[in-house]
Amino acid sequence: MKPRKVPTPGWNFEYLMWLFTRISGAAMLLLALIGFVGALIMGARYHMDLGTLMRWTFFPNPNHVLNSDIPDIAPWANAYWQIMQLLLVFFGATHGFNGLRLVLEEYIHSWGWQLALRLVLMILWLITLGAGFFLVLTS
Amino acid sequence: MQVTLKIFRYNPETDKKPHYETYKVEAEPTDRVLDLLEKVKGEQDGTLTFRRSCAHGVCGSDAMRINGMNRLACKVLVKDLGTDHITIEPLLGLPTVKDLVVDMEPFFEHYRSVKPFFINNDPPPQKERLQSPEERARFDDTTKCILCAACTTSCPSFWLDGQYVGPAAIVNAHRFIFDSRDQGAEERLKILADQFGVFRCHTIFNCTLACPREIQITKAIGEVRKAIATGRLD
Repeated sequence: MKPRKVPTPGWNFEYLMWLFTRISGAAMLLLALIGFVGALIMGARYHMDLGTLMRWTFFPNPNHVLNSDIPDIAPWANAYWQIMQLLLVFFGATHGFNGLRLVLEEYIHSWGWQLALRLVLMILWLITLGAGFFLVLTS
Repeated sequence: MQVTLKIFRYNPETDKKPHYETYKVEAEPTDRVLDLLEKVKGEQDGTLTFRRSCAHGVCGSDAMRINGMNRLACKVLVKDLGTDHITIEPLLGLPTVKDLVVDMEPFFEHYRSVKPFFINNDPPPQKERLQSPEERARFDDTTKCILCAACTTSCPSFWLDGQYVGPAAIVNAHRFIFDSRDQGAEERLKILADQFGVFRCHTIFNCTLACPREIQITKAIGEVRKAIATGRLD
């Protein structure tokens, strides 16, 4: 069977967001796994309760383990874990707001309202990212 | 055995809103639901309205909701339902014209939008346009569609937004996109890549469960998505 190929319709917003949703979903699972393994290395088995372990897994911020029995948190407050948090905030917020956009657009069919809601969602997304990044970079 | 049928009734000329009516009919376990509807119409209430044509699962006229599932009334046996209480309702997501008859026009509008016909601008050869068995097998599954609308009307994305082309239109686009003799793939992929195309599918699989022809619809939608992303049609 000889291979057939046609020009692709090119990148469009719906396709990009569909792709992003898949990639960010998988990336968040991977980042959570890295956080989980990090917590185990930190000593989660003996020095953390389940809640603390989950908080660190899904958002590896040193503040989340302050009240646990981890003897020395200082080595964990570094740029590597900050990057992990930034990625989690970015993927989580973008994935979530895009999901919300899809849900709203399934119920709201007027193009004008859809555009207005897209704008509102974009502003809320930027505020969420801004607040998240501020928290990560200043804590 | 005696079967209790609860049937959705709506006559736009006399009813303000739809209601259900209950009928009791004598049936064999091997009777089809369509036989019971015919029995009600012939013996108890001649005003009951439903579509039917071939009555052998080929024409796709009698798709309806039977105990909550989109099925062809001519393919479902009473014994397969595992109960003697059967609720029959029209398909969801399309306007009800009368009783179990829905307006299929929005469905066919989406079907037409994907150009479900052979496109080839080359001069016709002396004999037929040849195709290997493997090339034919590539789109065999999606040739089985009978346009009954059971898939599209089982899709929550379509219920919420009738602008979504729906699984049946994508299946019929797939049938031509992956046909080695066809030259319209680029056009169809462009249509299906838009806001109301394949990316509205949330992979719920209702369509695949509902299809009376057992077409792997969600798989076909996935293949169209892949073709949009890569341009590869093999």
